[in-house]
Amino acid sequence: MTQEIEIPLAELRRNQPRFGGLESGHRACLGCGEALAARLVSESAGPDVMYANATGCLEVFTTAWPDSAWQVPWMHSLFSNAASIGAGMEAALKAQGKATKVIAMGGDGGTFDIGFQALSGMLERGHNVLYVCYDNEAYMNTGVQRSSSTPHAAATTTSPAGSESMGKRHLKKDIVSIVAAHHIPYAATASVAYPSDIRKKVRRAMGIEGPSFLHIHAPCPLGWGHDGALTIEVARLAVQTGLFPLIELERGGVAGAMPIREVRPVSDYLGLQARFRHLFADSARAREELEHLQALANHNIEVYRLRGESRQDCMDSEGADTVRRGGMRWA
Amino acid sequence: MGLKITRGSYAKPGTSLAFDTGSWRIQRPEHRHTAAPCHAACPAGEDAQAWLALVEEQRFREAWETIVAVNPLPAITGRVCHHPCETACNRGDYDTPIAIHHVERFLGDMALQEGWDYPLAPVLDTAPEIAVVGAGPAGCSAAWHLRRRGFRVQLLEATPEAGGLLRSAIPPYRLPALVAEQEIGRLMQTGIRLMTGQRLGRDFSLDELRDGFAGVFLGIGTQQGREWSIDSATPSDLYVGLALLKRWMDVGAIPTWSSVAIVGAGNTAIDLARVLKHAGVPEVHIISHKAIPGPDVPAADAMPAIGREIEQGLEEGVIIHEHRGVQRLILRGEQVLGVELVHMKKLSDASGRLKRVAFEGTESILHVDQVIPAIGQVVDPEGVHTLLDNRAYFQVDEWGQFPERPWLFTGGDARGDRGTVSEAIGDGRRAAMAIEHFVHSASDSPQDNPGEPIGVDQLNLNYYEPGPRPAVAVLEVSGRDGYAEVEGGLERRQAVAEGERCFSCGDCLTCDNCWTLCPDMAVLKTREPTTDGSYYVFDYGYCKGCGLCANECPCGYIVMRDEV
Repeated sequence: MTQEIEIPLAELRRNQPRFGGLESGHRACLGCGEALAARLVSESAGPDVMYANATGCLEVFTTAWPDSAWQVPWMHSLFSNAASIGAGMEAALKAQGKATKVIAMGGDGGTFDIGFQALSGMLERGHNVLYVCYDNEAYMNTGVQRSSSTPHAAATTTSPAGSESMGKRHLKKDIVSIVAAHHIPYAATASVAYPSDIRKKVRRAMGIEGPSFLHIHAPCPLGWGHDGALTIEVARLAVQTGLFPLIELERGGVAGAMPIREVRPVSDYLGLQARFRHLFADSARAREELEHLQALANHNIEVYRLRGESRQDCMDSEGADTVRRGGMRWA
Repeated sequence: MGLKITRGSYAKPGTSLAFDTGSWRIQRPEHRHTAAPCHAACPAGEDAQAWLALVEEQRFREAWETIVAVNPLPAITGRVCHHPCETACNRGDYDTPIAIHHVERFLGDMALQEGWDYPLAPVLDTAPEIAVVGAGPAGCSAAWHLRRRGFRVQLLEATPEAGGLLRSAIPPYRLPALVAEQEIGRLMQTGIRLMTGQRLGRDFSLDELRDGFAGVFLGIGTQQGREWSIDSATPSDLYVGLALLKRWMDVGAIPTWSSVAIVGAGNTAIDLARVLKHAGVPEVHIISHKAIPGPDVPAADAMPAIGREIEQGLEEGVIIHEHRGVQRLILRGEQVLGVELVHMKKLSDASGRLKRVAFEGTESILHVDQVIPAIGQVVDPEGVHTLLDNRAYFQVDEWGQFPERPWLFTGGDARGDRGTVSEAIGDGRRAAMAIEHFVHSASDSPQDNPGEPIGVDQLNLNYYEPGPRPAVAVLEVSGRDGYAEVEGGLERRQAVAEGERCFSCGDCLTCDNCWTLCPDMAVLKTREPTTDGSYYVFDYGYCKGCGLCANECPCGYIVMRDEV
């Protein structure tokens, strides 16, 4: 099919009707959820931002020496200290009398595990920093090792499924509750399947004076074992099953939750991913773990009251990204 | 590279653009327009998806122009068509199909109200001239499409006015006389030369047409009732369904018997039954060898009449005897006293052929004082018996071209394998294409196949919202007098809402999904439409071929193609 246009692609790229904080040419895998999430965040945050980025996939694939895919001021930190670097950047900007917002970013390893105490310190000291965690539920950059974010029963290279084990034995850490317990003004979860919701939450956080936290669920086709084309499909199902609730917390209390219009069984979500394949074996243990995950989803639905009251809500899990002719829902 | 990495190194912004991630790709996304099911199902050949998109943007005139490029009579077909487009609509698998015929009628009515002219270029005096015989739906359509293609057109009609059965046999409660008159009248203002009172075989012959014109289209319909008798018995005062209906249309009066049995299952049977009911006949029976259409009735077993008309007839008190046939006429002398009915069904015999079987022991008597056959019409052989060769209809190819007479074409009811206004309009268009091909001795055969339509499984329904199909006003049974139109039209906002409800199957919705969701920023948005009509281009220099855009395209407009 022809797609000829009058103007050269490079010029067209420079004139896109959106802010391009992250450029093409990065080395993320096919269908990378984290690359998409980072683009959506930088697009929503706009140009007046400085970034501190923990070691991890995002840092590696956006800045292969000597290139950078970033069009905004961006600093690489250690695995453990993106929050500390972000806090320092914020303090320096404040001293200079500048209002530029600082965003610190890390993966689930750099946030839930290795950078956890730095994050806690940043939140406790009240820095005006938005911390964004891209959660792909394992150490993907180093070869899919389990993290404290890996969900229960998922297979990783360090929590393999086999005759002795059904994948990870422990539960996924409830990071957003821990963060909210710092009594910060705003903490929220989001998903790459709902770009309009990400935009809304980033803009909300950008307007807050003080620490805020955004936890974005971002599938990893390689680590989760699904086709790159299904990244959005998988992320959407995590929300629609109740396994990844989209919530907002203010000063530690739940301030909002995206209702699920039609709750799907967890098997719809798990069945698309190789990391959960062992749960579909014909064994009592597999059945038990499948029921366990369903119970965890049911628990989320109950705790956050995710079952929509009205059949139709423009910001529920089915209405949130309804398309319109002419687009620009993302403008 | 000679670069020395030091502590505190930096990179320049956006330099990753130098890296060609497109080289990783083994599959490429491409835009591909696929026919929407409504398009593939339309007997006239309308692409409803295309004009619904324009309605959504409130570009009503362009929407109407898109329709009339295919079908010159949307105010008429919007009322009388059985709309197979809506049966095919993918939205039917989600909630309710788009009310396509209502929107078509809305546009047709708007065009009449606003006095929009058909978009046309002037015809040259030197252009070849084509004769079109019969100004019914097929003839009108052929004349229009020939006119659009730059031919001079001579339209010859036997009756005093153009329109054919649109004006002589479709009752005004379905198609108000004024709508038919206005829309056909306007079509006749486009430079088509109409001569009325000209009957083939009486006033002119086929040979004269062959010698005088570059090509000939016969849209003569079926003007003769199919012969009917039961065991060689016919009542002396036999009325044929269509003739009776036409007489009522003409003079406005119909005999008011006390009870009537109409034999037949098509639109003439149901139209006549309703006209009789409106005129005050207390008991009107339809004897149908097929079933009343319903969700559990296979299409082959359902009455061929339009479902909506059957439904409204039943509301008005018409009694339909399903799977029934007339076995015997009960006559006193040649006067009808009643009919003997029997249960019947079409079953396959040992050789697999369908045949009608009457079940012994299911006979019943129905007392009526009139039996009216409405079992179909055949071509009147006057002037065309050499073409008919003792058959009831013309035998022609899909373009309507006669074998051994390449200058001669036909379409509509005269073909025998058609039966609706919309099919006749489609035939007229196809014949015009074929005539153009014949007259200009073009080498490329004409093409008229929208292709395999896109299935609902190729759409991504996560991005649509449920929405109700609009309700139109329907005249109460007590107010139905045979003249007042039964169904009302859409309001402007309802028509626009239907445009919004359309899934845009197989065509770009410009929803920004691909542009928003590409992890590699390899989809770029354009200000002006590109050559494929969309507002997006793939930057293959960076596209890694993950297929995410294709999976998340709501309309199935993006497909992945192997590159290695």
